[in-house]
Amino acid sequence: MLGKGGKRKFDEHEDGLEGKVVSPTDGPSKVSYTLQRQTIFNISLMKLYNHRPLTEPSLQKTVLINNMLRRIQEELKQEGSLRPMFVAASQPADPLSDNFREAQPAFSHLASPPLLPADLVSTMPLESCLTPASLLEDDTFCTSPAVQHDGATKPPPPALQAVKDSFSSALDEIEELCPAPTSAEAVAAEPAAHDPKAQPGESNIHKPEGLPESRTAEPKLMDPLPGNFEITASTGFLTDLTLDDILFADIDTSMYDFDPCTSATGAASKMAPVSADELLKTLAPYSSQPVTPNQPFKMDLTELDHIMEVLVGS
Amino acid sequence: FLGAGGGNDIQWCFSQVKGAVDDDVAEADIISTVEFNHSGELLATGDKGGRVVIFQQEQENKTQSHSRGEYNVYSTFQSHEPEFDYLKSLEIEEKINKIRWLPQKNAAQFLLSTNDKTIKLWKISERDKRPEGYNLKEEDGRYRDPTTVTTLRVPVFRPMDLMVEASPRRIFANAHTYHINSISINSDYETYLSADDLRINLWHLEITDRSFNIVDIKPANMEELTEVITAAEFHPNSCSTFVYSSSKGTIRLCDMRASALCDRHSKLFEEPEDPSNRSFFSEIISSISDVKFSHSGRYMMTRDYLSVKIWDLNMENRPVETYQVHEYLRSKLCSLYENDCIFDKFECCWNGSDRQVEFSSLIVMTGSYNNFFRMFDRNTKRDITLEASRENNKPRTVLKPRKVCASGKRKKDEISVDSLDFNKKILHTAWHPKENIIAVATTNNLYIFQDKMN
Repeated sequence: MLGKGGKRKFDEHEDGLEGKVVSPTDGPSKVSYTLQRQTIFNISLMKLYNHRPLTEPSLQKTVLINNMLRRIQEELKQEGSLRPMFVAASQPADPLSDNFREAQPAFSHLASPPLLPADLVSTMPLESCLTPASLLEDDTFCTSPAVQHDGATKPPPPALQAVKDSFSSALDEIEELCPAPTSAEAVAAEPAAHDPKAQPGESNIHKPEGLPESRTAEPKLMDPLPGNFEITASTGFLTDLTLDDILFADIDTSMYDFDPCTSATGAASKMAPVSADELLKTLAPYSSQPVTPNQPFKMDLTELDHIMEVLVGS
Repeated sequence: FLGAGGGNDIQWCFSQVKGAVDDDVAEADIISTVEFNHSGELLATGDKGGRVVIFQQEQENKTQSHSRGEYNVYSTFQSHEPEFDYLKSLEIEEKINKIRWLPQKNAAQFLLSTNDKTIKLWKISERDKRPEGYNLKEEDGRYRDPTTVTTLRVPVFRPMDLMVEASPRRIFANAHTYHINSISINSDYETYLSADDLRINLWHLEITDRSFNIVDIKPANMEELTEVITAAEFHPNSCSTFVYSSSKGTIRLCDMRASALCDRHSKLFEEPEDPSNRSFFSEIISSISDVKFSHSGRYMMTRDYLSVKIWDLNMENRPVETYQVHEYLRSKLCSLYENDCIFDKFECCWNGSDRQVEFSSLIVMTGSYNNFFRMFDRNTKRDITLEASRENNKPRTVLKPRKVCASGKRKKDEISVDSLDFNKKILHTAWHPKENIIAVATTNNLYIFQDKMN
């Protein structure tokens, strides 16, 4: 996959972007700009959504991480806007989900491999995407996704689209598995998600905000997590929240009831009662190896990484 | 003595270390703030467990002229307790975020201590005498039968063992929705400000049920929030002037005479970003973690993640000086973001106010990782890196300077960036107002260093 031709294009692209600032001889850095961006994006998401503190998390930290995500999202949007926006058939136009639309570029980015020299160079302002390669790290952490990343994006667009299609339907399947209102948070952009009672499992330990300041009419995007700082709703990453939660279900199972949806009253705010088996079945189309339902989460890390990339838009 | 034109480097020596020797740090023992009082005789620390410990300097021993008095525990009290916010189902940490001393007016000492939500005014007083000889009470407090009293006497004060009592005199609560990061006492010594992420309130020290909101940056729609307040301080001389810093690296100077709500700054201090240093993390590392006025009030200093900047209040568009604290971390920002170290809030402090004779005699101190701390001396134009550790610490032995090797060949005695311990961070330091004595807090230990006296 890392054919010479591909690699050359990649380098050209990189040079074109970073142009004057970085000399082409900034060799040591093995991490591409987009790769680092993706890594930071993922880290930021994890920070925001996988942290369940007993005390209120720092608003400063939340704001800074949010800003980071927004910036990356903006960039992706700009990049994505150069390609036909891929709208999955199963994603209904949803008047409420500005947040979901915002997240679209992350998905549509899938359809557009990040390596389109001519288009991108012409429209992306230099300063918005420069990280001098000398600043990029030789972090093993940063490099390990590289393998998966390249694997994920090398397939030609039509295949990706096919993947996306079946993936969207996979999302639907997952959704079906948890019909409770709580799980509606924008996986398929169901509009109902944002009434305070329908809390995602994330905010299990946080009661809905009392909102001592009534000055703000709660926007429809309000989502009291994490830590009830209203700010989090603005990230537009609620879609990813659900998927992350599903994916990370094996990491932190304390929030989840692994019985298949028994209660229609999701208001108990346990979300995503998806059994590992069902999840595996859903994800099976994407794994090159057959996965036996009897071995929940025996899929190896590469598969998980692959899925992660597909979801958050490598 | 560090004369203004002397050009002598201060030679720092280990003096004392307070706290557990144990490597296993108890969470509650983590020091969260350090502050000398106005005379330097008292040194207060606050910790994550809500306790305040005050050390007092021994009176100078005339015979031991080669060292200044040692600091010993003077008073320990529980300032804040953990609370529970039932509305949000979240704990309110008892961690002491800041301590500020009031200037001494009478025999008692007063300080303000604050956690995330509540500020308290504590009175620390000594008792070394007690009344004896009551007519109606026995010495142990039991009441005497009045019919047994045959003579009368006047009770007198008799000396007793020194007792230091701390009592809360005022509790300033329920004024902050967000987490308090700063308190600052006004030069009028009657009012003070408290700042949280989005608001700054003005209090009168005598009045606890009312405070005035003087800055409010909360947007109508919280989704639009992109910037928070990170620190605030009153000007040392002008009682209507204060500054506050933000997470975007700006400092705003406000005048309370201009309007009741100081939403519009009088001055905005911001340095344009250096495009060659731009990265994903530019914003985060520009977030200011501390701001301190110099004694004269002509200058102020800000600390962001990688540097300390000195600003002239008359020049808004750039600092007059910038010192790199640990530039070698710039290439590690991704890891530091991942492990949250990039959000560490380092404080900074000036040398003692008495020593700040002029611009050239200013010295800046701030902490770093691996229990290193740094000093930048405007007088000698030199900077130095020192380490707070129990090893190599013999009293009156000058501390050996440390060096971090950023890349390439590591010289002997240098430490490579990759072997720095990022769990050993020095966030809080303080400088005695009159002497060259500094207090440096590692995670759970307090180090005191002194200038080697000749």
